[in-house]
Amino acid sequence: MIYLLLIYEFFKIGLFSFGGGYATIPFLYNISETYGWYSVKELTHMIAIASITPGPVGINVATYAGLKTAGVLGSIVATIAEILPSFILVIIVSKLLKKYSENFCVKSLLETLKPISCALLISVGIELLKTELFNIKALILLSVLLLLSIKSKKDTIFYMVIAGVCGALIYLFNPL
Amino acid sequence: MPLLKLFLIFVKIGAILLGGGYVILPILQNEFTEKRKIISQNDLVEYFALAQSLPGIVAANISMFIGYRLHGKSGALTAMLGVIFVPFICIILLASVLNIFLDNRIVQGIMWGVGIAVIALIMLSAGEIWKNSKRNLFFSSIFLLSLIALLIFKLSPVLVIIIFSTLGVIIKLLGRCRK
Repeated sequence: MIYLLLIYEFFKIGLFSFGGGYATIPFLYNISETYGWYSVKELTHMIAIASITPGPVGINVATYAGLKTAGVLGSIVATIAEILPSFILVIIVSKLLKKYSENFCVKSLLETLKPISCALLISVGIELLKTELFNIKALILLSVLLLLSIKSKKDTIFYMVIAGVCGALIYLFNPL
Repeated sequence: MPLLKLFLIFVKIGAILLGGGYVILPILQNEFTEKRKIISQNDLVEYFALAQSLPGIVAANISMFIGYRLHGKSGALTAMLGVIFVPFICIILLASVLNIFLDNRIVQGIMWGVGIAVIALIMLSAGEIWKNSKRNLFFSSIFLLSLIALLIFKLSPVLVIIIFSTLGVIIKLLGRCRK
């Protein structure tokens, strides 16, 4: 039953992804490798679309992945399943607010999650680079984007637009 | 504030939320602190920190915190449904037309380029965490061990989080005992 699997996988994402929408990508990559519901190339398309539509990227990409896997009902199931764990946690935390934020175990847990999220992001960045995108043009564009960020961190949209325009020009004048 | 009103406010917030979840803080500030004066700046920042330290999507988390504050459980549910309403419809619509356009060379180019930008954004978001943490021996070793577990041993993200967060807390507890 695909819907049960979807609920299970996206509930896990909602429960275990820390630090913003892009933190869900390693899990989505893992799903694509385990179940093959969508290819890695489709995943990059999904992330791209999720980033240029309004709304939180992590939720958009869940909606899209659910849609790809099991149609509109799949997208509803995936989206709700991903938010459910934090919905429960928000209600619990709202009640216990501040009581435990100074607790030593809670503080160490939060501190440990930082390097782990960092490693998760780097690993998925490397995995994405390893796919068919890996060529000299991709590397140049990536370096340019990263260099642009050194001077000052811009809006997400800024990188998307620059990269989209560059991509369109490269494909138009120099078919790969 | 009636639930319908709360819902409509979050529908609007979801619709103008472009460029990642972090943009939501200034939007909420404008809606709830400046315009309606029902949530103080301090509370908002505290909700934001909490939303970030909980698992899940930051923008959804903070919306639910505010919904809960204003209307309890049904408020949290209403805020959550409101904030994903417009994005959900956008994704369904865009996904259904994307396949038609994917044969177009320019669209292929744009998707390729945006795909590269996504990799850059993932790297930058890792860099953000790197910059905002105390980079000591503890940080570096947990970071390197997790990276090796992921890339070489191909452990699943969930397993890596469970193993290394447990390890991290144990190390911290031992460190405190020795002091």
